[in-house]
Amino acid sequence: MDRPIAYDKLAREDRFIRMRARRVSEIRLEQGLSPFPDLSNQESIKERVHGILVGELQAMEGAGRTVYDFPEAPWEFTMDMARQVWDESRHVEIYVRLLEHLGGYVGEFPETTILWRCACAEDAAARVAGVNRGLEGLACDVFNQLIHIARKIGDPILEQAVDFVLADEITHVRMGSRWLNELTKDDPERRRKAVEFQEAIDERFNLGGIRREGDHEEVPISIATEARKLAGFTDEEIARLIKATQRSPVY
Amino acid sequence: MVAHPLAGHLSVEESAELIRQYRYAEERMMRVMGGWIALTPELSAKLLLGRHVWDCAQHADLWGKRLPELRAPAHVSAPASEAFVRLMDLLESQEGFHQTPERLAGIYEVLKPHLLAAYQDHLAHTNPVYEPPTRRILERIVEEERRHIAAGRVVLSHLITTPAVEARTGEWRRRLEGLLLESGGVSGKPTGDLRGPDVPVDPTAIAQDLARLERPVGRWPVPAELEASVEAHALHLKRRDLQALEDDFAPAYRQAGMATYAPLLAFELATHRIVGLGKLGGHRLVKLRLEGPAGTAVVQLRWAETDGRWRVLEAEVVRTEAAAASS
Ligand SMILES: [Fe+2]
Ligand SMILES: [Fe+2]
Repeated sequence: MDRPIAYDKLAREDRFIRMRARRVSEIRLEQGLSPFPDLSNQESIKERVHGILVGELQAMEGAGRTVYDFPEAPWEFTMDMARQVWDESRHVEIYVRLLEHLGGYVGEFPETTILWRCACAEDAAARVAGVNRGLEGLACDVFNQLIHIARKIGDPILEQAVDFVLADEITHVRMGSRWLNELTKDDPERRRKAVEFQEAIDERFNLGGIRREGDHEEVPISIATEARKLAGFTDEEIARLIKATQRSPVY
Repeated sequence: MVAHPLAGHLSVEESAELIRQYRYAEERMMRVMGGWIALTPELSAKLLLGRHVWDCAQHADLWGKRLPELRAPAHVSAPASEAFVRLMDLLESQEGFHQTPERLAGIYEVLKPHLLAAYQDHLAHTNPVYEPPTRRILERIVEEERRHIAAGRVVLSHLITTPAVEARTGEWRRRLEGLLLESGGVSGKPTGDLRGPDVPVDPTAIAQDLARLERPVGRWPVPAELEASVEAHALHLKRRDLQALEDDFAPAYRQAGMATYAPLLAFELATHRIVGLGKLGGHRLVKLRLEGPAGTAVVQLRWAETDGRWRVLEAEVVRTEAAAASS
């Protein structure tokens, strides 16, 4: 097998419908919809859950590739990534079942492959910065919001399952924080590039002002400050993220 | 004559050497399974590999940590022979879209059954007085390998859908087994049957290893008018009716749409079916699988209803394959 493989080798059953993320947002906007599902009704929650499901799938695939692509990396790093593969495989199953719980089915909405593209970064440090800290940090924000909504609409199944997934994601972000530091400890240039990669992802996923600081009732996706602290983000990093969301252009 | 309770069959150094060989097999298998997940289309197989990567990583870890207890450096993997490395190279080589049965057969019908046999044989010979640290590891791994093999076989038999796939997979398995015998196995010193014992399937024990298997979709929830339009469109494609095809596209997309179809129109397409249906706001995304004597094409179409008629706004050929590839 190649190390890494080309990103277009990602294999899917025919029932999945793959599209470019930018195209999906454009088509939604053309129809007068928000660029991303806003969780304002059942259909929108279902669409969001589907988006999370394919993200979990790509997270599993990405962590699996990392196990294969870096045989020279520290053994404990490989162990963390192998553990993540297992966690993500449970998350996939959880979200398949939640999707069905909400009356949906696999393939009901298009799949975009942003997470997978980040998981194809050539450097292991960039992968953990971009995927574990950038995208799984975003997952902490999104899951926190979803738990809040589940509580509000009285759906204990959704609430409890997502809460367990959130606990795992915090662990994955923590792994990212640890390995970003350890893999780059003697190489400031490598660290700079990895952090830049993460920041570019953070910027993109401020989602045109959709992710912001604030109460769940006030903003579409609120930054999960407490979960992020548990996951190893510093106060300074959280402050920087909040500041970045304020200057993020509308999509 | 009864053996002395302190009689053993391996020295400390020999034990460490064997453990490095086990670690080579577990580590390499775990990395290969991790790498395959993205290359494997079927969700049931993806999730099976996903669950087992972590177990195999733990096996490699247990062996790696046992080494310093045997006066050897921790976490070292060392294959027993060049031939065993060749076996692993060959096993790894099946990375194609349609080769999931070969991938699963290599792991679950050849490598894991062999490792199970080697571990069971080792366990039977360890000394119960001074080797319990090794025995504990062996007992745990034996139990997990049995579960893995049973679960892997359930998914594999689910994916063997035609006699041709069955024949191809069997041939692959026999080729790997041949190389396994030639190599002398994980330790290079064959003991007992290299091919491993039969493992009965205990459905409750393997539940944790299996997500649900894919079920064929009975009927897609396609709106009736759209379904009629999709059927007509597929018919136009099969008949190569250019006029009607053009008319199926939204006016602004006609030229681009016909250009997208140009390569398909060179082939005879005999059958079609919907294999995917998605939503994007008010638009519908339909995946059509078209088959003919020369092969298969999967097209993805975005449909919208305007002026009371469903039309194609965008078409993409997402996959084509020659007739032999998927059989
Ligand atoms: Fe996850
Ligand atoms: Fe995760």
